[in-house]
Amino acid sequence: MSQRPERGNGGRQATGHRAGYLVIRTAGELLITAGIVLLLFVFYTLYVTNWTSAQLQRESEERLEQAWDEQDGMDVSAEAGTDSTDAGTDSAFARIRIPAFGPDYRYTVQSGVDADHLEIGPGHYPQSALPGEPGNFGVAGHRIGRGAPFTDLDELSSCDALVVETATNFFVYRVLPFDEEIDGWESIRQRRPECANVPTLREAGDGANEPYGDTVGRRIVTPDRSDAVAPVPYREVDALPRLEQAALITLTTCHPQYSDRERLIVHGVLTQQVPKSQVQDDYGQLLEQLGEV
Amino acid sequence: MYAWLWRHLPGPRPVRALIALALIVGVIALLMLVVFPWAEPLLPFNNVSV
Repeated sequence: MSQRPERGNGGRQATGHRAGYLVIRTAGELLITAGIVLLLFVFYTLYVTNWTSAQLQRESEERLEQAWDEQDGMDVSAEAGTDSTDAGTDSAFARIRIPAFGPDYRYTVQSGVDADHLEIGPGHYPQSALPGEPGNFGVAGHRIGRGAPFTDLDELSSCDALVVETATNFFVYRVLPFDEEIDGWESIRQRRPECANVPTLREAGDGANEPYGDTVGRRIVTPDRSDAVAPVPYREVDALPRLEQAALITLTTCHPQYSDRERLIVHGVLTQQVPKSQVQDDYGQLLEQLGEV
Repeated sequence: MYAWLWRHLPGPRPVRALIALALIVGVIALLMLVVFPWAEPLLPFNNVSV
C-alpha cells in the first residue's frame, strides 16, 4: 500500500483528494481501534478479573483452612501468626455457603468491603454483627467479574438456606418471606417444611411501623441505603436493645446486573446453630441434616 | 495510520510481521495490566456495597 497511483490532471487537486482520503482513513482506523479496546475491556471485566480473583480465593481458602486446623490442634499460645505465605490483604474469618447454588458453593468471607477485600471474595461490613450474634451480619459481594460470588443472588427464594461457617459452628440462616408472601405466610409455612422455623418477624398488627416492618426476603434499594445493614434493617441503630434484636444476615450486591444504579438486598434470619463437632466437621452431613441432599 | 506504521517498521516482510505482532501483544498487556485495572473502579458497573 505504499504507492498510490495518481492519475488524471495531477498536481494540486490530486494532493487535496489524497489528504482528504488520509484523514478519513485515519479516522476510520481510530474508530475501529476504539471499538476493539472497548471489547477488550468487556473481556477484562467478565473474564480476566475472574481468573485473578479465583487465584486469590484459592489462597484465602487454604489460609483459612490452615488457621482453623491450627486452632483445633494446638494451644492458642503456640506461635500465633507464623504463616509462611504472605496474607496480603486477605482477612478471611468465616465461610459462606449457599446450598441452593450447589453443594460445592463456598467462599471465604473477608473482614471489610473495600475493593481489595471484595476482589478476594464476599466481604463483611465491619460495623455489622458477627455470625450468629443478635443484629445483622452484613456481607457484600460482586455480581459480575472478580469471581462474581453473588451473581445468582436474585434467584434465591424464601427459606433457602444461607450457611455461615466459623471455626466451630455452622450458622444456618434462611431467607425471610418475600413481601408478597407475608400475608399468607402461615399457610405457606405448613406446605413447605424448610420454612417451618422461618418467622415473618412481624408482631400482630402494626404493619410498616414495626421494627422489622421493612425487612423482607428480597429488596431493591438505592445505593445510599447503608441502613440495609443496620442492626434492625432500615431503622435507627438504636431501634431495639441488642438482646431484643433478631439474628439476621444481609447480602448486598449491585443491581441491575451490569450496573450499579441500585442494590439487590437479601435478608435472612438465623434458624439453627450446629456445632461442627455435631456433624463431624462435615458440610455434607449438615446438608443431609437440613434435608438439602 | 497503520499503513504508515507498517512502512516505518524495519526489515523484510516476515520480520515486520513479527514486530507488529509483538507490538499488538504489548499494547494488549498494557491495557489488561495497567489501564483497565485503573479505569474500572472509576466506571459505574461494579459497586456492590451500601
